Amino acid sequence: MSALARLASLFLLAIPATADPPAAQTAPAPPLVDILSGELDRNFAALKAKADPPPYFISYSVTEQETESVSATLGSLNSRNRSQKRALDVSVRVGSPQLDNYRRVRGDTPQFTSGAPITIDDAPDSIKRRLWMETDRVYRLASQRLLNVKTNQQVQVEVKDDAGDFGPAEKIVSVSPVAPLKFKGDEWQTKLRKWSAEFGNKPGILASSITVVAQRELKTLVTTEGTRLQHGRTFARLIFGVQAKAADGMDLSASEILDGEDVNRLPDEKTVRAAMAKVERDVLALLQAPVVEPFVGPAILSGRASGVFFHEIFGHRIEGHRQKDESEGQTFAKSVGTKILPEFLSVTFDATKRSLDGTDLNGWYEFDDEGVKARPVNIVEQGVLRNFLLSRSPLTGFPGSNGHGRRQPGREIVPRQSNLIVTSSNRVSSDQLRGLLLAEVKKQNKPYGLYFEKVDSGYTTTGRRGLQAFTVVPQIVYRIYADGRPDELVRGADIVGTPLAAFGKIAATSDKTEIFNGVCGAESGSVPVSATSPAIFVSEVEIQKKERSQDRPPILPAPGREGGRS
Amino acid sequence: MKQLLALLLTTGLVAQSTDPILRILTQEMERSRGLRIAGGSDIPYFFEYSIDDVRSYLLSTSLGGVIEELRNRARVPQVRVRVGDYSFDNSNYVLSDANFTARYDSGLLPQDDNPLALRQQLWLMTDRTFKSALESIGRKRSAMRSVNAPADPVPDFWKAEAVKIMLGPSTQQLDEAAWKTRIVEASGRFKAFPTVLSSSVDMESIVNTSYLVNSEGTEAKYPDNIHYIRVRASGLAADGSTVRDHVVFHAIDPLRLPGDTELKQAVDAVGRNVTALAAAPEGEAYAGPIMFEGAAGAQLFAEILASHLYLPRRPVANAGQSSRFTPSELEGRLGSRILPASFTVVDDPTQTEFRGQSLLGSYPIDGEGVVPKPLTVIENGVFKAPLLSRQPIPGFTASNGRGRLPGSFGQRMATLSNLFVKSTESVTGGDLKKKLMEMVKQRSKPYGILVRRMDYPSSAGADELRRLAVSLGNNAGGNVLSSPLLIYRIYPDGKEELIRGVRFRGLNLRSLKDITAASTELYQFDFIGNRGPFALMSIGGYVFPASVVAPALLFEDLELEHPQVEVPRPPTVPPPTLSSAAAAN
Repeated sequence: MSALARLASLFLLAIPATADPPAAQTAPAPPLVDILSGELDRNFAALKAKADPPPYFISYSVTEQETESVSATLGSLNSRNRSQKRALDVSVRVGSPQLDNYRRVRGDTPQFTSGAPITIDDAPDSIKRRLWMETDRVYRLASQRLLNVKTNQQVQVEVKDDAGDFGPAEKIVSVSPVAPLKFKGDEWQTKLRKWSAEFGNKPGILASSITVVAQRELKTLVTTEGTRLQHGRTFARLIFGVQAKAADGMDLSASEILDGEDVNRLPDEKTVRAAMAKVERDVLALLQAPVVEPFVGPAILSGRASGVFFHEIFGHRIEGHRQKDESEGQTFAKSVGTKILPEFLSVTFDATKRSLDGTDLNGWYEFDDEGVKARPVNIVEQGVLRNFLLSRSPLTGFPGSNGHGRRQPGREIVPRQSNLIVTSSNRVSSDQLRGLLLAEVKKQNKPYGLYFEKVDSGYTTTGRRGLQAFTVVPQIVYRIYADGRPDELVRGADIVGTPLAAFGKIAATSDKTEIFNGVCGAESGSVPVSATSPAIFVSEVEIQKKERSQDRPPILPAPGREGGRS
Repeated sequence: MKQLLALLLTTGLVAQSTDPILRILTQEMERSRGLRIAGGSDIPYFFEYSIDDVRSYLLSTSLGGVIEELRNRARVPQVRVRVGDYSFDNSNYVLSDANFTARYDSGLLPQDDNPLALRQQLWLMTDRTFKSALESIGRKRSAMRSVNAPADPVPDFWKAEAVKIMLGPSTQQLDEAAWKTRIVEASGRFKAFPTVLSSSVDMESIVNTSYLVNSEGTEAKYPDNIHYIRVRASGLAADGSTVRDHVVFHAIDPLRLPGDTELKQAVDAVGRNVTALAAAPEGEAYAGPIMFEGAAGAQLFAEILASHLYLPRRPVANAGQSSRFTPSELEGRLGSRILPASFTVVDDPTQTEFRGQSLLGSYPIDGEGVVPKPLTVIENGVFKAPLLSRQPIPGFTASNGRGRLPGSFGQRMATLSNLFVKSTESVTGGDLKKKLMEMVKQRSKPYGILVRRMDYPSSAGADELRRLAVSLGNNAGGNVLSSPLLIYRIYPDGKEELIRGVRFRGLNLRSLKDITAASTELYQFDFIGNRGPFALMSIGGYVFPASVVAPALLFEDLELEHPQVEVPRPPTVPPPTLSSAAAAN
């Protein structure tokens, strides 16, 4: 308890000076914690006494989200919104930790919670009523499901991983408030009008927008194991996007997202303007760029591109539940202790890291959504698989959570990624990495290699089965010629083949890391994450032409450009 | 510089309107007239641009707490481009609404009156709509080769007169802070009703300025506002089935919303009704006389007559292709008797009040720029004229200005406005009830049935709808009517008994021919309609406010059934004790 208290106060000291003064641990529990725990105790006691089967665990989780946003296009305000809501997630477990209603049967995903809205003010009567009704609803579903699970157990062959359904976790009592959102909407409105007037107004650009979003999230969790937890954080993002259409009909876009833990920690105007200029330059260059030809050969992925690759292709495969579920690929289920990446690479997930080299990390949190304290987890050490991302759903050999049970309100928790960090012991300078690429190009007798500068953050499911449902679409790709010609931007590339195999072909990395901040979408909804990696040199990657739209660019010139060239 | 000057001159010539938004719409429309595809023969012949500039305030409360409070501003544009000509164009085809090209417009317009930013969006929308219209007319032609063409083709679109209407926005401001206090307080009154397990008092205020221009020369700007308060509550009967009641207040002018006392009384009445329903006996199957008292008659007309007064046209499709088209039950019945001969029904959007009470369905111009006039829909029981948009149907030559909702297959949908139902052979409400009791006696029934409120528009929740869908699936093909919320047995001695759990069987449009008698007193029923089933309150999208003024009704022979639905067991845990209830005890 004392260690915990010390950590909590350290955390509070790290809050920017604008935050409210730290609340002492001895202060009375916030009203919401009292309302939740009162109703939790009452429902649990009554159900244990009267219901068959009785529950062995109940938790109430309330996520309060306060969001403000402003968006502008071509000097005009597009929208300005503010919302505040609280969603209730109720979890009821019946049966036993060894076998309960959360057991996956034939790859299905049980869904009990609904993320029911509750009052944004602490109105006890209204909240209590909702808690009672949701507990009743979830209990019914849970008890029905347990019956189905047990029936299924009798007819199914024995499952390979029988580590059980619910692992132990430490009880946590901790309250760290998050100061209310201080968003200066009027100032942002003025700023965005000004910036957007100078953004996306070049001939050829069809659509553009700049959006700022500030969010505060406060999570409250009470469980029948005695956890009484309140914690949270803030987020801020600046999003720039432009779209264009090439003469042959191909839809083109470029975008940049700048993240900060708080709206005051977003980059300064100089950085913003540089990012705006880059996005515009990229899309205008894409309009002029030749279409990519199918290609197999060596490539360099920038640190950010590599980060997204690791997140999509590797990170999702080491999420614990995928090792358990018979319907999943279980790529790594039996690979613990074996080499799965080149020896010089290690991969860590560290939700405790709040920032890195001055950049705030999106995947930071203090506790996961099951109230388990975040901790660094070494997944791959020198190429060897050591661990998985775990929630409280145990795996054989891994009985406890490592603090990666996450969800969006209204979804059920599964293990998800946090801050992915790739480190390398085979580091060379960027110039040397380029030299390695050119040498390989010549060795393979190719005219050029590829440089993936940027890939779209991937949470697009393509409807293909299982883990292949994630695709990575390159946005900015250059040809790097062996004969010394200048680098050439190409458009319309699509990566094919087995990207996982490409990781086996990583030959070296740069000595500089880059950070990709994003939002990841999967079974348990959208959760904020980050991926940090050095640039990597891969001896072989395969790309093909992307399918493209056939319709032509707008027929009439853009308004205001009637007289001139469009 | 020369270029700039030339541009100013052109825009100066076409921009006639003084309103900045209308001017921008006209400017972009004029420019779009030049849309052509090199080598293509189809050219645009009609453009329509509209904007709904909406400010809304939404407040959702329960038991004295705020669930949600939202303020929103949005400019919602619609662009229509028709290629071909009035007799044959890209509409009335199964894929007329499909978008065939990449989309670059965001769907919402910028909020500043910044001409360039606004025109950029309109330009992109027009381009996309034009290209899709070309694709659509091409596919339509090819589809028509595969099917037999009608001998006497009906045109695809009716021309309309150019109209100019400029109405200033209403100046009435909603005092949000005062209303918030009032609504939160009203929602807290449900604490006094322990039987009410789930309840809400919600308010929404929509202040909209609509803009419309078309290439026929129509220009319009007019306010289109609506404010409402919804009071909803539900509870459980001893057997676990859900019972509920609701009351909705509507107003175009926020000053006409209910006062404190009226709101509190409404909450208490809903609370009392739910309490009474939870204790009420289950109804049983019944066949015999049924009276719709008060506004329940108007509710019945709103639900089963009004939606059929619009006769949509079946779209062109490839032979054998299904089109998700639902015809009106009144198709082919023009000139036929559909109500008793004493009944006349007039739809009149030009009326703004009925006996001192505001009517909801008044509007100066419809969504297609047509000024509506009063319309006799049914005369002496005979169906005379349907509600028309600019989608032509055989036997008529022009829209009657009822095109208020976006419809299907490139057309707008016609809706009712203020529907006045009258009967020349009416009796007083008291006599109507006497007549009901006489019928009960004649037929030696132990009791008659009195309906005071139907669940239309419906406040049913997701769980109830799911159960309903299952029970309806078992009863496929039948007409589906919303359930009665407040329905009573009335015994020969005049005693009334509330019942629950019954539905109408076989009550539909055809039943209206058999109305036995109507009251002299007329009752006004206001509602917000939409395209969803039972006009469900929880459905978003485009809506139309409307009023129906009608008598109470008596039917000699209608049927009720008591559907056997799976009812969940009551909760194991008793409900939590509420603070005020505890204080009162």
